[in-house]
Amino acid sequence: MRPIAIPTSSRPAISLTIALWVTLTMVILASIALGYRQYWPSAIWRAIFAFDGSESAVVITTLRIPRALLAPLVGAALGVAGVLTQTLARNRIASPDTLGINAGAALAVVASSVWFGVGSIAGMSVAAISGALATSLLVFGVAASSGGFSPIRIVLVGVTVGGLGYSIVQIILTTNEAQLKELLFWLTGSFADRPISFAIGGAPVVLVGLMVAWMLAQPLDALQADDTTAANLGVPLAVVRWSGFLTVSLLTGASVCMAGPVGFVGFVVPHVARRFVGLGHRRLIITSALIGAIYATTADVLARFIIYPAEAPVGAITSTVGGTVLLILLKRRVA
Amino acid sequence: MTMPARALASSRAPFVLVAIVLLFVLLASTGVAFGSTWIPLSQVWDVLLGAEIRGKTVIILQFRLPRVVIAALAGGGFAVAGYLLQRVTRNDLASPGILGVVDGAALAVVCFLAALSNESNALVTSIAYQPVAAAAGSILAIFVVFAFAGSQAASAIRLLLFGTAVAAVLKSLTVIAMLVGPVYQAGQAARWIAGAVNEINWNEIRITAMGMLPLMLIVLIVARKLPPADLDETSARSVGLNLPTFRVHIFVLAAAITALSAAFVGGVGFIGLMAPHLARRLIGRTVHLGLVGSFFIGASMLVGADLIVRLLFSPTEVPAGTVPAVIGAPYFLYLLMRNQRHD
Amino acid sequence: MTEATTEATATRNAVISIEELSLDYGKVNVLHSLSLTIPRGKITVLAGANGCGKSTLLRAIRRLHKPSGGRIFLEELNIHGLGEKALARKIGLLAQSPSAPEDMTVQELVRLGRYPHQTLLQPWSAGDTEAIEQAMAGTGVGDLRDRRLGSLSGGQLQRAWIAMVLAQETDIICLDEPVNHLDLAHQLECLELVHRLKEQFGRTVVLVLHDLNLAARYGDTLVFLRGGKIVATGAPADLVTEELVADVFGVQARIITDPVHGRPLCIPLRLSERQSS
Repeated sequence: MRPIAIPTSSRPAISLTIALWVTLTMVILASIALGYRQYWPSAIWRAIFAFDGSESAVVITTLRIPRALLAPLVGAALGVAGVLTQTLARNRIASPDTLGINAGAALAVVASSVWFGVGSIAGMSVAAISGALATSLLVFGVAASSGGFSPIRIVLVGVTVGGLGYSIVQIILTTNEAQLKELLFWLTGSFADRPISFAIGGAPVVLVGLMVAWMLAQPLDALQADDTTAANLGVPLAVVRWSGFLTVSLLTGASVCMAGPVGFVGFVVPHVARRFVGLGHRRLIITSALIGAIYATTADVLARFIIYPAEAPVGAITSTVGGTVLLILLKRRVA
Repeated sequence: MTMPARALASSRAPFVLVAIVLLFVLLASTGVAFGSTWIPLSQVWDVLLGAEIRGKTVIILQFRLPRVVIAALAGGGFAVAGYLLQRVTRNDLASPGILGVVDGAALAVVCFLAALSNESNALVTSIAYQPVAAAAGSILAIFVVFAFAGSQAASAIRLLLFGTAVAAVLKSLTVIAMLVGPVYQAGQAARWIAGAVNEINWNEIRITAMGMLPLMLIVLIVARKLPPADLDETSARSVGLNLPTFRVHIFVLAAAITALSAAFVGGVGFIGLMAPHLARRLIGRTVHLGLVGSFFIGASMLVGADLIVRLLFSPTEVPAGTVPAVIGAPYFLYLLMRNQRHD
Repeated sequence: MTEATTEATATRNAVISIEELSLDYGKVNVLHSLSLTIPRGKITVLAGANGCGKSTLLRAIRRLHKPSGGRIFLEELNIHGLGEKALARKIGLLAQSPSAPEDMTVQELVRLGRYPHQTLLQPWSAGDTEAIEQAMAGTGVGDLRDRRLGSLSGGQLQRAWIAMVLAQETDIICLDEPVNHLDLAHQLECLELVHRLKEQFGRTVVLVLHDLNLAARYGDTLVFLRGGKIVATGAPADLVTEELVADVFGVQARIITDPVHGRPLCIPLRLSERQSS
């Protein structure tokens, strides 16, 4: 007897969700505890609930906790942005990274802050989201005008547009004598040294994005089939596409604004999530958000140890993993 | 192309080549003349021919000439490597930058500098080994690309995506390696991300030139086998060329040239894509003329790019490689779109 | 069937009436002022040469193209007044070459058919489960439910897609060239299934077929199109004549009666056998 999958209420789904939440909590705690110096849970407890101004308490509250909140937020946003992009483009190797959307958002933030002096989180978010949207329109426009949406071709267009974006970021930053650290931040992304206001400011945007994504779950399911079939099922194609791309831009823009272009999170996470829950978007979106959060936080912890005592940009780690996954997927002819 | 048109293209090819070389000479002398003070072209030529002009000789020989010479050598090298790769993969879109070769070289050099420097940022070994490290990285990268691609390498566009993926991994590893080593403190990182031709000394040029010369000779010798390599595998074999083996030889050669070009200049993308393409449009498919043409077009491009960044951004040192990156990306998209219509 | 629809059937046999429909692609006029009624509970086959507008007509019935003139009524309702999901609960269409991710399972595909019946707050109901079970049983893909689409044969895949449209539970099912890429055995299997949709599930089927003999064998009503206009409508026995076949398909043919089914059978003549006209 085969089970009739009724996704929202079946027991494995619930235990998977619980397992993911537990894992997420653990990696967040690890992210607070581990690093250049290690802190015991007791110290963390004291720093949060009985702040005494000691060095460890200051490090925990001003450095560790902000990034332990930022990382899962960005990971969840990128993971879900990845699911939406892959479904909207009907392309399993599409993602905010491979379509250059990350780079477009980064360029918009850098350009707006260097040229127009935009410094507020709100202003930077608006820039990042518009940059993300403009880039996705550009990439799809170029791909469409070359007569087709073949997965490989659209990704080549996206990678090239993304590379172009990073080159311009580099010119802007070097001509403004930015430090190497700042340059690397805007080229690879990192969770380090961001004030907690970024996490607090970005959280509502990400939550709105996640909710809209989840509300789009049913039409997205139907959109996995071709346009005619989806239209036949009663999906308003244009409405769903536009809200989908706006949501992708919102999520990607917000995460780039918070942490720079952390590469290939949105690319890898949906593939992992699909292995657990299949293709239904209601579960896929929730699972991708959780797995994305876990992945980004774990990568952030790893980034502190891989070249200890120095710290690697987390984007370098996620991109290494992501590029390798892309190679494997290509090898298996997933696209 | 119809036969008469093709014949016309090859009959005017020598003249086009002369024009390209003249353009290069003009750009190179302007590159030397231009700087914080403008040195008239006549004085530039006098100094280059051995005259001593007080205050100018040192500026020209120690500061301006080295960057022009290395830009010419590296730009030419990237272009020739690109020409070889495009011919042998029968793919207009192939280039050392896109196939991950440049990134392989960059990673190897950064690792080399990181591993073999002492606390005071001085190399504990001869800098002459730097190109060797770069070559090892390049060759490894191109083999990783082809190992992953396997039989899919036959599809041009799939091969490119494999190259892109490998390049993404190598780039990230380079960032990590950069932060480990003294390159970071030395502030050379930007050069390794984007390719810069400033702060080059004559010793580095000597090493590059000594490597480049024999490699170019080898290229000119194997070039006669390139026309049959335009055929498919079976046809090539029937005219007596073992294409798979020949391809591997050309890949190694192209990787070595790329590595040598990138060794001191860093990762310059897209010249290896654009220069051979332009050369083929202007000169046609004649192999030797095409190679020489590619070299000088590539050399002019990097010398010109360096001139542009100096004109626009001086006194800030923007890596020259960003100019071909910004021009090259739209050009690649254009090729990609055109290529689609041809399918 | 409810009392109301039974009454409707009694009073009026046509389930879809098309009035003076015109349709343009850009500047090209594809359908010219075309009128047609489609009978309830029957198989109607749209047939004609390539480019005659038969697929366009089918897609226009499902409102996938916007007409430049004329109206389409579903019973008494103009289809252009219906909401997306409301229309999707009444007319289902299977595209000519539908596509879905290769790693989607058959069951996941069939579930998509329930989309127009779902709301954000009630994503899945017992009725949905029942509908997909019936659809899979009716098309014989129940045993394949966990197979991935990429692993199915052409015939199995087509049955899975038909199951999806069946799960949509629409009174009217439109199929655009459903046997196009299938071999002989699977063509028969597929059209027998279409026949069962009518007999067993009581659906109205509108079919686009370019094979005249299959059209004559399975269709209750044939509609011949040429150049965006309807040339003739009627039962196969009345319609498939040597004159009309020459007119619609531009082929000289001999028509005989199929000794097994009693339907007309068209035998196209070779060039050397044609009489000069």
